[in-house]
Amino acid sequence: MSGADASMVGDGTEESEQSEQSDENAERTDGEGDEHVDGEGEESSTTERRIRREIETGRWEGIRGVALALIGVGVVTRRPALVLLGAVGVGYALYVGIGEAPAATLNVSRTVSDGTPEPGDEVTVTVRAHNVGDAPLVDLRLVDGVPPGLEVIDGPARVATALRPGAAVAFEYAVRASRGEHEWEAATAITRNPSGSRERTTAVDPSDPARIVCTPELSAGGDLPLRGLTTRYHGRMPTNAGGSGVEFHATREYRRGDPLKRIDWNRRARTGELATVELREERAATVVLLIDARESAYAAPEPAAETAVEECVGAAGQAFRALLGGGDRVGIAALSPVDCWLAPGAGTAHAARGRETLATDPALAPTPSGEPFYRSLWFRRFRRRLPADAQVLFFTPLVDAAAASIARRIDAHGHLVTVLSPDITADGTPGERLVALERRERLRELRSAGIRAVEWGEESFPVAVARATSRWSR
Amino acid sequence: MTAAEVGEGEEERERDAGPPTLAVVTSLVAAGIASLAALLAAPLGGALLAVATVGFVAGSVGRSYRALSWAAGIGLVGLVVAGYRGGGVESLLVGGVALAVAWDVADHGLSVGEQVGRDARTRRNVAVHAGTTLLAGGLSAGVVYGVYLAAAGSQPVAVLALLLFGAVVLASVLR
Repeated sequence: MSGADASMVGDGTEESEQSEQSDENAERTDGEGDEHVDGEGEESSTTERRIRREIETGRWEGIRGVALALIGVGVVTRRPALVLLGAVGVGYALYVGIGEAPAATLNVSRTVSDGTPEPGDEVTVTVRAHNVGDAPLVDLRLVDGVPPGLEVIDGPARVATALRPGAAVAFEYAVRASRGEHEWEAATAITRNPSGSRERTTAVDPSDPARIVCTPELSAGGDLPLRGLTTRYHGRMPTNAGGSGVEFHATREYRRGDPLKRIDWNRRARTGELATVELREERAATVVLLIDARESAYAAPEPAAETAVEECVGAAGQAFRALLGGGDRVGIAALSPVDCWLAPGAGTAHAARGRETLATDPALAPTPSGEPFYRSLWFRRFRRRLPADAQVLFFTPLVDAAAASIARRIDAHGHLVTVLSPDITADGTPGERLVALERRERLRELRSAGIRAVEWGEESFPVAVARATSRWSR
Repeated sequence: MTAAEVGEGEEERERDAGPPTLAVVTSLVAAGIASLAALLAAPLGGALLAVATVGFVAGSVGRSYRALSWAAGIGLVGLVVAGYRGGGVESLLVGGVALAVAWDVADHGLSVGEQVGRDARTRRNVAVHAGTTLLAGGLSAGVVYGVYLAAAGSQPVAVLALLLFGAVVLASVLR
């Protein structure tokens, strides 16, 4: 829905509230989309309300003092006008004392235009709040509980209005869908008494909070370089073992039983000896994509930019698809307080599971889980699960020393590690430059310890991999 | 303020937390009326209320509750000066209610801006609030003026003052 349409809907509703038959008009507003019919039904369902706090706002504080002072001055100077002005002040003082902040007797329903959007899609959210109480809400501010991982791109998810008993308000906003599973939180309703001297904050939670699940298509990655640790299965990874394959490896003496077509006939003609050509054997590898999703990895060069976790998950998706397409067995794990493990496998079903894991696993959520992370516990569990012949592609922004040390520990246990690191450092403040320097130093140390490392920043992940691959020997 | 808690949302970055335009305009109009009323009573009072009007606008734009309170204080002094200089009862009452509405709507606008934002739909909320404040002020001014007309001349000012003192005590007890 375009912005112009949205504003039209908004205005229509506001006008409708001003007329007596708000329900009828609200229906006319809802005529815009079919999904609203469901919304009407949901409105009768229960909405949970929890009072968060009640406070005195301190508005009109001192009005009684002012009134008395005016009366006093009026009496002393014998000016009746001032005494009367003080009397009006007394009137306001009485007005301020009237009424508690009303309870937010709201039924809230929420509809999203698309429950399973693609990343980057605009999802329109319609919120309807219906005053089901007997008292009017003269001052109501409603703030919708947008999931932390979503960005509101059109209109604030908020409204301020006044609702008669039975009246309803509807408002729309749009969010940009991002990877993951997002469930809306309770909306916050702030009500005040007419003078605004008392305020009550209530959490309003519809029994059916809206949710969207956004599962990105895994984009195709280029050829991914793996290290020389392979399984005994045939695949596409060239090894240093001779056997059958396509690439020349070595020649050796002829042994009985060697296939005729592998005999080096040129040599036979030249020297009269029989020799057999060995080809480089190609085998499949088992790869575990390890994604750093500790709280520290939720870092970004600027507040609006994508976090390193998003970058890593995107790159891991490309690697997953490329490796699976090449016949390797691929698994997924997260370096995160929340457990996440997809055992290495192959096949179409495994590809779907991998896509699902990368998109919606809670360990890879767009915002950190906030639970504590115990490194040694995690490492023990990871080691137990990791197949002996698996190598690890470790996606990490390397913003702290722990990531580098984990890479070294995994490598030391015989699982060859390739570190793939998105560069999320900025170079504005001295602090940012220091972090960038430390990260470069960590990369350098990893490389000197014999661990392959690729970093990508401005250039895309496949480009960086292709560039790095040309430097590496097998 | 309350907005600190509410405003932690994701869209906080782009949200314009300024007061709604309607609140600023209403406050400005009310302050203008107050200035005019005080000007009719006494030029010096009118000048002070003009200063208060500028204060209200500055407070709204600069999102400062304190500036609004100061402006209201200056406006009040202006009304006292106008009253002392022998301004008429009617113009002073109109000025008082208009000043109260000007401050109240500006202050309300700030809190709405903080909690909901300038771009959200707030017209109805601000209009209802301004209306109730005007109604409360109008009612009390009407009652006061009626009593004044009925009792003018016969009751000494001191008796009226004592009555009002009683009303203030009542207001305190109600709270």
